[in-house]
Amino acid sequence: MNAFEVKDCALLTRMSGIQPAFNLRELRDRIALCHPDVLYHHFCETVLVPSFDYPDYRNDFAVWARWRLGDQILSERLGMIDPYLYPSMEELRGAALEIIDERLSEVTMVPWARPGHEFYFMQAVTIVFDTGERINHPDELSNVVSRMTNGSIYFHVLEARRRCPVGVDDFTGWLKGYDGNWDHYIKAVKAIDVTFHTLSEIRQELVEAFAGKRIRRPKERRT
Amino acid sequence: MNHSLDDYIPVVGDPVIRQLRTLGEKLKGLQVLHVNSTAEGGGVSEILTWMVPLMRDLGLDAVWRVIMGTTPFFNTTKAIHNGLQGRDASISKKDWDHYVEVNAQNYAEMKNILESAELVVIHDPQPAPLIDLCTGRKGKWIWRAHIDISRPVRSVWKSLRPCVEKYDASIFSMGPFAQLLPHPQFVIAPSIDPLSDKNIDLEETELEKVRNLFGLDKSRPLLVQISRFDRFKDPVGVIQAYRLVKKVLSVQLVLAGGGATDDPEGKEILDEVKEAAGDDPDIHVLLLPPNSHRTINALQRLADIIIQKSTREGFGLTVTEGLWKGKPVIGGDVGGIQLQIYNHYTGYLINTPEGAAHRIRFLLHHRDRMISMGKTAREFVRENFLLTRHLREYLTLFSWMLRAEGKHTIMI
Repeated sequence: MNAFEVKDCALLTRMSGIQPAFNLRELRDRIALCHPDVLYHHFCETVLVPSFDYPDYRNDFAVWARWRLGDQILSERLGMIDPYLYPSMEELRGAALEIIDERLSEVTMVPWARPGHEFYFMQAVTIVFDTGERINHPDELSNVVSRMTNGSIYFHVLEARRRCPVGVDDFTGWLKGYDGNWDHYIKAVKAIDVTFHTLSEIRQELVEAFAGKRIRRPKERRT
Repeated sequence: MNHSLDDYIPVVGDPVIRQLRTLGEKLKGLQVLHVNSTAEGGGVSEILTWMVPLMRDLGLDAVWRVIMGTTPFFNTTKAIHNGLQGRDASISKKDWDHYVEVNAQNYAEMKNILESAELVVIHDPQPAPLIDLCTGRKGKWIWRAHIDISRPVRSVWKSLRPCVEKYDASIFSMGPFAQLLPHPQFVIAPSIDPLSDKNIDLEETELEKVRNLFGLDKSRPLLVQISRFDRFKDPVGVIQAYRLVKKVLSVQLVLAGGGATDDPEGKEILDEVKEAAGDDPDIHVLLLPPNSHRTINALQRLADIIIQKSTREGFGLTVTEGLWKGKPVIGGDVGGIQLQIYNHYTGYLINTPEGAAHRIRFLLHHRDRMISMGKTAREFVRENFLLTRHLREYLTLFSWMLRAEGKHTIMI
């Protein structure tokens, strides 16, 4: 069985070239037309951006709706979008637009942000690199994961879901191909609600999962 | 004092330093040239003082050069600087010509290294015309704007823009500070050095010494605002907030800053502040000499709450410093302060003296909240605004510029 190759990644934010949005209608129109990398950035990459990891909302649109538009209803709806449940960025875009269109049909006045509180559309560039570290056996996972950077956690747990096979994190993919029965680890990883945790919290959850603290191992774990 | 990267392991953890070393390994030997206009004093030279040695520690062949200039040149670049930030600036054609002429003299001195460096980072507008002069350049050139140029004086930006457009990329401290340019524009926020005199942990004895030096009462809460005496920092508004709190709680206020005496407007503001403070013995207006870094550090650590009641702000590194000391910060809802203060988590954003007073009273009545917010604040800075993150973003940019212009993700 091939060893698990520990990768890491670093992200740098860049301007998207899209004019900022001052109100909800402008936000809607720009979301409809922006490059998929912009959507991906505000829904998924935001956890790697040097910014406050808002525990209340997990994407930048929901945070802006709450704190800059003052629209709590909209922020609650946008905040519940789990980007990893959508097989493509276009479907994610459609879901976001559906929520915004619904809200625009409900309000009598288009919510707006005061000057200085506009929404800036950003995107990012990402560098992925091999750390040189290898995991040769599943029982090493807990120890190695505990030392991983946020970049590694992001790459192997979140970014992995967009690579083939879509929707699967790298740990699960590796464990499925490893000799023996590692379902207890796979189930424990699956039980982690990754969208609603910070990267540090995901690391801690994984460490506990691989240390067997979160699940019961089957009596015979190796064939 | 220059530190090695390993000195930061106890602060940020081994994985962060390992990540930097792995990235550095991929860029080993890369010739990087930083050019700015001052070797000491000011934020840019402070950054380069730690950044260049740390890049070298990582194996990059990083070099820092400072351009030389005449007094008229620096008067012109000061006017350009002000104009880019939207302040009135009168720059004649003769001034612009002299600006280019001085850059040409510097170019002659630095021609070889400017032509051969694989990456050239030009900081701020002073050395920006070097790109026009360096026709034999082989590397990628990046313009790093440390200032907010979102609303420049049109004539100034119109004159400088053709030169800036020639760069391969530019860097701004925040998205809202940028101008639309025909090349990739990156966002790299400033950072603080946790091992510098301004931020390093201090012994209790040193704190007590500073407390006694300024006659501060240990038994009563202390509010501190550190900033130069500038109208945009609203020191008089801080005094108004203090007075509103003082009606119900016996608190002390320190307003500390430096560099006012040689600045006519600064002197005027300082006089206004002193007048507003009157003879209240609990308001301490401190005009500190340059390099009072440890004193400022101690005052921030002695504070119960740190205030930065700006009405206009760049990034606001004094807020970062306050958060790093594990204090909740009450700050104006402007500029980079908005990126650092999150209501109920790291402090409170406010718009008025009344708002500041309300939050001060709330926090002083909820000490447990102050402690938990302080912890969140420190971890927030550790994760996002220390120099290690700043360095990582530069290395990411260099890797991307050299290998994958135009792509979202690259493997190196």
